Amino acid sequence: MSIIMKKSVPIALVFITAVIFLLEYFVLPTELKSTVTMLQNWGIILTAFTLGFGAVNMFVFHGKQVSRRAKGQWPYSLWLLIILVLFTLVGVIMGATSTQYSWLYNSSYFALSATVYSSLGFYMTSGIYRALRAKNAESALLLIVGVIVLARNAPALAAQFPILVNMDSWLSSVPTTSAQRGIMIGAALGAIALGLRTMIGRETGFLGQTTEGEKGG
Amino acid sequence: MLVAGRMFALGMLIAICVLIIVCMELAKKNLPTFRKIAGLDALPEMIGRAAEMGKPVHYTTGLGELNTNMASQLVAGLSVLSYVSEICAKLGVRVIYTVYQSQVMPIATELMKEAYTRAGKADEFDADDQVRYMSGEQFAYASAVQGVAERERPAANIMIGPFYAESMLFAETFYRIGSIQLAGTARGYQIPFFAVVCDYLLIAEEIYAAGAYVSKDAVLTGSIRGQDVGKFIALILMLVGVILTLAGSNALINVMKL
Amino acid sequence: MTAKPKTIWDKLEDIPREILYGLLLVCIIVPMLFPIGFPVPISAEVKRWYDTIEALPAGSVVMVDFGYSGGGEPELAPFAVATYAQLFRKADIKVVTMSTASEGPLLWEKAMTELNIARFGKEYGKDYIHIGYIAGTETAMAAVGKSISATTTTDYKGTPLSKYSIMQGVDSAEDFALLIEYTTGGDQSEGWVRQWYTSYKTPYLCCVLAMMVPTMLPYQKAGQIVSVVSGAQAGQIEILVKAPGRGVKSADVITVTHLLCIALVVVGNIAYFGKKFSGGKS
Repeated sequence: MSIIMKKSVPIALVFITAVIFLLEYFVLPTELKSTVTMLQNWGIILTAFTLGFGAVNMFVFHGKQVSRRAKGQWPYSLWLLIILVLFTLVGVIMGATSTQYSWLYNSSYFALSATVYSSLGFYMTSGIYRALRAKNAESALLLIVGVIVLARNAPALAAQFPILVNMDSWLSSVPTTSAQRGIMIGAALGAIALGLRTMIGRETGFLGQTTEGEKGG
Repeated sequence: MLVAGRMFALGMLIAICVLIIVCMELAKKNLPTFRKIAGLDALPEMIGRAAEMGKPVHYTTGLGELNTNMASQLVAGLSVLSYVSEICAKLGVRVIYTVYQSQVMPIATELMKEAYTRAGKADEFDADDQVRYMSGEQFAYASAVQGVAERERPAANIMIGPFYAESMLFAETFYRIGSIQLAGTARGYQIPFFAVVCDYLLIAEEIYAAGAYVSKDAVLTGSIRGQDVGKFIALILMLVGVILTLAGSNALINVMKL
Repeated sequence: MTAKPKTIWDKLEDIPREILYGLLLVCIIVPMLFPIGFPVPISAEVKRWYDTIEALPAGSVVMVDFGYSGGGEPELAPFAVATYAQLFRKADIKVVTMSTASEGPLLWEKAMTELNIARFGKEYGKDYIHIGYIAGTETAMAAVGKSISATTTTDYKGTPLSKYSIMQGVDSAEDFALLIEYTTGGDQSEGWVRQWYTSYKTPYLCCVLAMMVPTMLPYQKAGQIVSVVSGAQAGQIEILVKAPGRGVKSADVITVTHLLCIALVVVGNIAYFGKKFSGGKS
């Protein structure tokens, strides 16, 4: 594929689309509304397609694991493929809102998902026990703040000691919010920089290429 | 013609974009330098440890997706992946990259292949083994990565990108198997969890700098410099705003509402 | 060379993971099986949430985003169920639900079953509706904000939206009096601020996981979100709405487990300092 198709055309498309969205937001909201709505709908359809793309990739990857009898892996890959096909068949034949599909989801994926998420509580407990030690000034501060927040979030303790609510409120409103705002500003600037680099063709990571020949100094 | 209430935002956006472009161009002539970032300086040491132990290195960019506003963090993670892959190739260490979003697979495969080629070890790169698409579902992905940790028992775990609730799952699991860990994310929710468990940490901004730091790429470095100037502008606006507000004036607030 | 015997400080400083997890498990299961009935104080954020919904005038249309996945269901669903109970108790309030998470429609059905919607006398398609999962997160939010009919033409079951009376005169963000979000993802919770509040100034209530609240607070402080609450506060909203459920039951568990964590932190520090002052190295 020529360099024009691989690089120039995608970059031009990105640039034109970005300019349309920016113009619609800042300058011509009424005139460009239908165009932007159409582009947004295209984006939704493309995103939905990536789900299918993901499923195809799963088949390819795990199919290879099964065909190669990859040691310690292939039974799990086979099971994954069986479940994938089962969900797909039930969803397509019975409907994704059918009782059968709901049962399948609730009894398998939902239960597993909630369980894995809940295991976080255990990891956090061991993490807290190890980390909140007053080894130096900074960790002592972390310890004090951590205990205040833990205590405040225990409803019974908050009811018994209302001062915890005030302390937690101050911690949330002042140092935490300030730090989060700083991080947000930085993240927003990062997003602007990435968007700009993508628009002007300086960021080609999404095309599968690193930026080359731009060594400085 | 300009939409009311958005003119100040447009002006700021244009100013920041111009600044970033100028900084990128200036960086080609005179590359800006970074302060030391301990986590990134420790990468060769971490990979060296893996080489001595004969164990692989695990790399993840979390729940990075190209089509969301987390793309910038994913790209930062991929930049460091390229660097890590090159070092791993040179030292003969297997690097395993577990993928969340399938669209990232071809990009990561290309980046890693290029890295191996730069290291002169193109034939040692095995995309099927080293670039593993796990799942597009958060906890299915998290479980899969934990499975990789238990089976492969990597000596080093590098996590740079957007992480969600699975951050603690990863950090604790790799801690338990004895991996040395470097983590970095700009998602404020997860920084505390990494801070508590990992050996090295990149906080927020540092992951954007990481890509530029390791590659010495003028475009990325100049872009970081432009972002830093943008932060100075934000800081000045904040200070001016505080002073004016304390003096009883809403002038800056009214300007920002234009 | 023989290893030094472990002192009490060594043992307390490095309690095996199995014991920690075992203690936590006991602290979760016992209050679940034998509720203690600890008091549940109502926080300012939850009260503001409740008052905002109570203040909705008759005829208001509310948009709800069921944007969480199965992992977040135990924490967020009780809050969602209590809020729906409050909405459905109010006369002439219409609720349009969508999902920015693929599991959203299934979890919404689960929540509606738990709510036992029949007792409110509400009719699907007339008083409430679910317009389905719309992919794209912020793209979806922006598209729906501009025009629901241009984004999706059916509900989550595939029935055309034109068949439902609730959707008459309801098409864009401007037609909604309130936006409520339940999510485990920062992309959704922050995305609604950018796509709906910034463009349409729609009042926005946000319910997220407890760990996400500090990051969402700046938006609340800036006035972009009316109230940010965590699913862990479900007990409070259940008390206000007078519909006790899983949330109130969990409040006991939350108290006991938090007390356990504090106790473990204290033990760890006592062990650390005990070892330090007795000449050992940590």
